[in-house]
Amino acid sequence: MKKLKKTLVATTAVATTLALIAGCGTSGSSNTSNTSGPSGTGSATPASNEITVGTLYASSGAYATSSMPEYAGLKLWVDQVNAAGGVQVKATGKKEKIKLIAYNDQSSVSTATNLYNQLITQNKVNILVSDFGSVLTSVAVPIAQENKMLLFDPTGSGATFFTPNNPYIVLTALPTSQIWPDSLAQYLTNHGIKHPAILYCENDFDQSQNTTLMQKLQAAGITPVYDNGVATSTSNYSVLVHDIAAKNPDMVMELGYPNNDIAFLQALQSTGTKFNKTFVIFPGQLPALFEKDFPISQLSGLYTYPTPPFINYKNVNYGLTLPNFESQYKSSTGQTANFLSVAGYTTGLIVQKTLETSTSLSQQDLRAAVNQFSGTIVTLDGPFKVDSTTGAQLGETLPVGQLVSNGKGGLGVNILK
Amino acid sequence: MRKRIVSNGIVIVLLALAFAIAPAFYSNESVLFQMMVFLALAQGVNILYGFTGYLPFGYVGFFGIGAYGASVSISLWHTPAWLAMIAGGIAALVAGGMLSPLLRLSGAYFAIGSLAASQVLYYVVSNSNLQNITNGPYGVNLAAVFNDRASYFAMLLVLIITTMFVAYLRMSRLGMSLVAVREDPISAGMAGIHVVRTRTFVWLTTAVIAGLVGAVYAWHISVFYPDTVFDLSISIFAIVFTLFGGGATVLGPIIGTVILYGVYNVIGVSDPQYFQLIYGVLIMVLVLFLPNGVLSLLRRRGIDVP
Repeated sequence: MKKLKKTLVATTAVATTLALIAGCGTSGSSNTSNTSGPSGTGSATPASNEITVGTLYASSGAYATSSMPEYAGLKLWVDQVNAAGGVQVKATGKKEKIKLIAYNDQSSVSTATNLYNQLITQNKVNILVSDFGSVLTSVAVPIAQENKMLLFDPTGSGATFFTPNNPYIVLTALPTSQIWPDSLAQYLTNHGIKHPAILYCENDFDQSQNTTLMQKLQAAGITPVYDNGVATSTSNYSVLVHDIAAKNPDMVMELGYPNNDIAFLQALQSTGTKFNKTFVIFPGQLPALFEKDFPISQLSGLYTYPTPPFINYKNVNYGLTLPNFESQYKSSTGQTANFLSVAGYTTGLIVQKTLETSTSLSQQDLRAAVNQFSGTIVTLDGPFKVDSTTGAQLGETLPVGQLVSNGKGGLGVNILK
Repeated sequence: MRKRIVSNGIVIVLLALAFAIAPAFYSNESVLFQMMVFLALAQGVNILYGFTGYLPFGYVGFFGIGAYGASVSISLWHTPAWLAMIAGGIAALVAGGMLSPLLRLSGAYFAIGSLAASQVLYYVVSNSNLQNITNGPYGVNLAAVFNDRASYFAMLLVLIITTMFVAYLRMSRLGMSLVAVREDPISAGMAGIHVVRTRTFVWLTTAVIAGLVGAVYAWHISVFYPDTVFDLSISIFAIVFTLFGGGATVLGPIIGTVILYGVYNVIGVSDPQYFQLIYGVLIMVLVLFLPNGVLSLLRRRGIDVP
């Protein structure tokens, strides 16, 4: 019996070790868009006729509704490029196909950490693209920097990511969140709004916008009658709406994530409160999400940051124009394009231009290439221009617009100066 | 007793060896690091739940406070990283002291109370009025001290110390008195065990463990938001891993974490729908047939597991 016990203990211990090694041996299979040719090799040298692009997406969890269209936009770019025979890579002097390696992080930061490492250390991708938003991008920033890997960041606009001592990041599809309110502050100043009210969520994205807005309003001699932060998890704004109404503001700005914007608009609806002017961020970017919950009549008149597809840049000199993108996205995914799908596609375009410009596939040269074409291209997302030292996006700015009914049962937007 | 020392020693040595040499064979250190994080947290839960019966759903609160304690130490006082790790442990110790009245609760009430407490800590840390200290909701960037190799071995050290402490509890008078308190606090008190002091000691010890783990985690990932380190799923994972393996043992949380986190990494990422199905079925089977974890299969047969 004693012998049996000893054997069992030893077996259990060995089994534990083996299980440990086995458990670490793999980290999920990849979802590849193009499986032709051998899999990716070192990040500085591509496998024959193939550039590997590694990215993450979230099919479930808090960021799924934003991450999936962004990923679909990137996939559309991959499919189009491969259908055309690949990207003309200057470093190799020939066309290379793109192999997309994508993992599902399920909106989990700790899973994303593992998977970014997986893409770099196991898949040895040539190009690294982060998932949607600041939270899922945050863990990629030090990993990319440590591994000296350039991170193409579509929508992670957190201010802490972009520092002069980190040359391994480029924000591709929207400006950093501090820049967003420039146009809004200008609108308030130009239109004589003297008593605005600001309600913002206490998170990096919204609070940094509030800070910029407050600075600019104070510089213009405007003191908001209301400026309060609420938890991002806030889902009932009824009391807050009454509080704001009691201050008699001439314009109300609610800065939140899509869920906050929806909850705020629901509170306006349920309390019957009407402000002279109401600004919310996301109806201009994700109109379909709002059209599901609100009648067009309620959304008409709202002020917002319109983005493509609401804005159709006419001087596009790189990639698809907006109408072409919308039709191809629709036929490819069966869904209507929104800003996030545009952001994913734009990121693909920036990767493509980088490969066409860089003289080698070393990450430093890729970064230098981005600086080289910065300010020279206009995509369907607007003029692409990055800060040459931090990689923060300075172009692709967001104007203020007012939603209107387009007469076809949908929404349009008037861009305001 | 000697046999138990040997078997516990074997487990600890194998654990240390496995994680020390694993990076030589598997270059994605992040997976190994996160596994160590969950192993150490599961051992923390094991100490509290396995030995005292308190199920800490809000255990992540100490983890987050440890992460922020270290971050504040580095950002404000520019301490070396190793000192910041200790600061993280101390921050969690202070938080644990402040929350020790929770021990007056028991069962589901304690579980809910600790959960609420972790939310309180989260809202305090992410409060914009504390922006000068914690940077509020803007998150933390410790890229200046980022060192994945050093933080990896710091995590291994925390894991080994934690596992050794569990092994000590398994063999010591203190551990036996904790089990006695868990089974019947009144009888234990009448037998001369200082119930409040014993429980408080274990509570604070587990707070320090989670704080140290959180501090090293913060050092390792170096850029994060409050949501990242106060994510409730961290608590849930640590609890499930412990329950799966079996509490009040050294090996239980290790088995639970290695198997379940391994499964998570193998299928949870590529096919989350199957993962959720398998996880759900696994937990149901466990609760119905093995409420004391898989190691209870061995113990039922009179086999003494480490």
